[in-house]
Amino acid sequence: MKIENHISDILQLYEFSMAIGKSLNYKESCDVFLKLILKRKNLNAAWILEYNENQITSRYSIPLGQEINHNPNPIVSELLNSIQESKIIDSNSIIEDISPIDIQNGTVAIFSLAEQGFLFLFSKKDNLKTKDLLQLQPVINKFSVGLKACKAFSEQQQLLNNLESRNQELSDYAHMVSHDLKSPLRSIDTLTSWLEEDYKEKFDKQGKQQLHLIRNSVEKMDTLINGILEYSTIAKNQIETYDVDVNTLIEDILKIIQVPNHITITTHELPIIKGDKYRLQQLFQNLIDNAILYNDKPIGTISIGANDKDGFWEFYISDNGKGIDNVYFDKIFKTFESLESNMSSTGIGLSIVKKIVNLYGGNIWLISKLNEGTTFYFTLKKH
Amino acid sequence: MLITSTNIEEIVSAISNHVKDNSALISLGEHTEINIDELISKLNDAKVTFIGGLFPKVIHGNTILEKGIVINTLNDVESLFLIKDISKKNYQVPNMSFDNNHEYSLFTYVDGLTSNISHYLSELYEHYGMQTNYFGGGAGSLSLEQNPCVFNNDGFFQDAAVGCVMRMSSKIGVRHGWNKVDGPFIVTKAEGNVIKEINWKNPFQVYKEVVEAHSQKVFTDNNFFDIAKGYPFGIVKENAECIVRDPLMVNEKGELICVGELEDNTLVDILNGNQESLINAAEMAAQESVNQAQNPRKAIIIDCISRILFLEDSFHKELTAITQTIKRKYPDVSIGGALTLGEISSYGDGFLDFYNKTVVVGLFE
Repeated sequence: MKIENHISDILQLYEFSMAIGKSLNYKESCDVFLKLILKRKNLNAAWILEYNENQITSRYSIPLGQEINHNPNPIVSELLNSIQESKIIDSNSIIEDISPIDIQNGTVAIFSLAEQGFLFLFSKKDNLKTKDLLQLQPVINKFSVGLKACKAFSEQQQLLNNLESRNQELSDYAHMVSHDLKSPLRSIDTLTSWLEEDYKEKFDKQGKQQLHLIRNSVEKMDTLINGILEYSTIAKNQIETYDVDVNTLIEDILKIIQVPNHITITTHELPIIKGDKYRLQQLFQNLIDNAILYNDKPIGTISIGANDKDGFWEFYISDNGKGIDNVYFDKIFKTFESLESNMSSTGIGLSIVKKIVNLYGGNIWLISKLNEGTTFYFTLKKH
Repeated sequence: MLITSTNIEEIVSAISNHVKDNSALISLGEHTEINIDELISKLNDAKVTFIGGLFPKVIHGNTILEKGIVINTLNDVESLFLIKDISKKNYQVPNMSFDNNHEYSLFTYVDGLTSNISHYLSELYEHYGMQTNYFGGGAGSLSLEQNPCVFNNDGFFQDAAVGCVMRMSSKIGVRHGWNKVDGPFIVTKAEGNVIKEINWKNPFQVYKEVVEAHSQKVFTDNNFFDIAKGYPFGIVKENAECIVRDPLMVNEKGELICVGELEDNTLVDILNGNQESLINAAEMAAQESVNQAQNPRKAIIIDCISRILFLEDSFHKELTAITQTIKRKYPDVSIGGALTLGEISSYGDGFLDFYNKTVVVGLFE
């Protein structure tokens, strides 16, 4: 009979332990485990208090009760500090003071949950004995580890939510500021073009040069603002994906950009991929623009191709241009980080490229040698 | 009060006169030949507030009836409620404020064939806790086809529960009388009311081995329930009788379909009972409530329909054992109730549970 009781105890422990860790939500996790204990041991209530020298706070109770959030009095502190693992006591005024539920006569088992506080189990009918403490202690230790995981998960979720919200705010801000900046810029552009036309006879050579510089700067700022707008809207709308033939896409790009005569662009057989044509065009066009812009050779060559890599396509755009020192490999993908002061460079093109690649779940990197050229690689998932 | 008339006007008049300004608990035998929607409408016209359920059989005094309406007066009602979508767990239990100087009793009828009844009971306990006693049963048809089976002033519903909180003391006795044959076993896989694995093995094989050895009977293609009705499972519980789960049928995969839900890793025994143990348990349930009561006005019996399927012609002995135990001490107490698809109470004031094959006797003061 004794052995049979031991087997029952062990199997019950198995049932209790299997109820731990079924959820990473603190309340759900407590519900599953503690309601099971209340049912199987025929108990009436359970609650968890978090405790430090200055504060005692209720985190959970079944049944629902009043929130506890106050300074622990010395008697409560003495009681809680005396609990190394667990203790059974008769319900008394001290316990009533730290119970979210109205309890009167009965027995309370208190378990230490280490940094997670204390678990209280209450029975109106004396259903808690020392053997219950011994039986439940290991499983409650495991439960306390589960609670720690729940809290860590909740903090992580909170951080992610905050991050998402901050990103959204930043993106909205960039969008708004860009729009607001465009209006005065258009005015400056219009006024300078009037000046150029109406006073062309009165400006001397230096005046004409300065006016030209103003208009170039306005143009650069317009390009920059457009870049910021594009950057801030990349992840804003849902991506529609459909089949895009990259061969056709590159042909279309080459029709709209100006390729200098000394540069030859070679395209190898490119795949049909799933994506959104507008974003893919932004991606390839930025990289091709850069390859042209930073090519200092009398005979420039640019090569575009792709390799099939199981679940994704690996694209490359290779040039024989100036090359990039490897200390700048990370810097160039950061917003507004341009390696040289160039009227055509806004420092946002590669940020847009990286953001689009990331949006499609891919990676981007480069290999480069100064004065010999650069190859940008990026991956795009096949599905 | 028992009403046997099928004339709606007469029924409404009888209920109205019986409960006066109080609310009514209406327990209907499933073969009662009345239009329930019409009854609800006419009771609304008469401004009678009520909750009710449809059951395989109802109890009045020492009689059980398939046809008939048993009325109990619900006095000192604090709140009547209807909760829909029990299976979807998508509802809020109404808020209640309890006065610590009074005792309360909560009575509920729930669709006994819906899923997630345990969640409903857990929600009730989570919100009302130890401030009230709990008492009730599962409504529905013996055909086990799910149809509307609970009602109140708002209509006739399935997948729902109706309830009433009264400022009234109640004394409750709960017993079943099924005893352990073998166990414990672990239900290593379960889904709702289907046991998919016991001890990591096919559940029917495990069950069959124990039951055939004990009963000296052999399961064939068409005698599962005939044998299984005498061998329910018992969910192991300390400090109280186990919670019974009734295996109803075995499917082609050897999974056992029960009345009532089980969860993964539940510890169960296989139980058996006989006429004597069941009737003794029923008497003990009645005695338990009688011992605690002081001045009861009425008794409500919630007895599982499967006990009548097991006891057959001897069921009247169980009912007599209950009614005589009550009448011996309280001869003037009115006795009503129902044979239900699952019973609701809290053993010894503990956490709320949904039982099968059990008798719950409540004396209301």
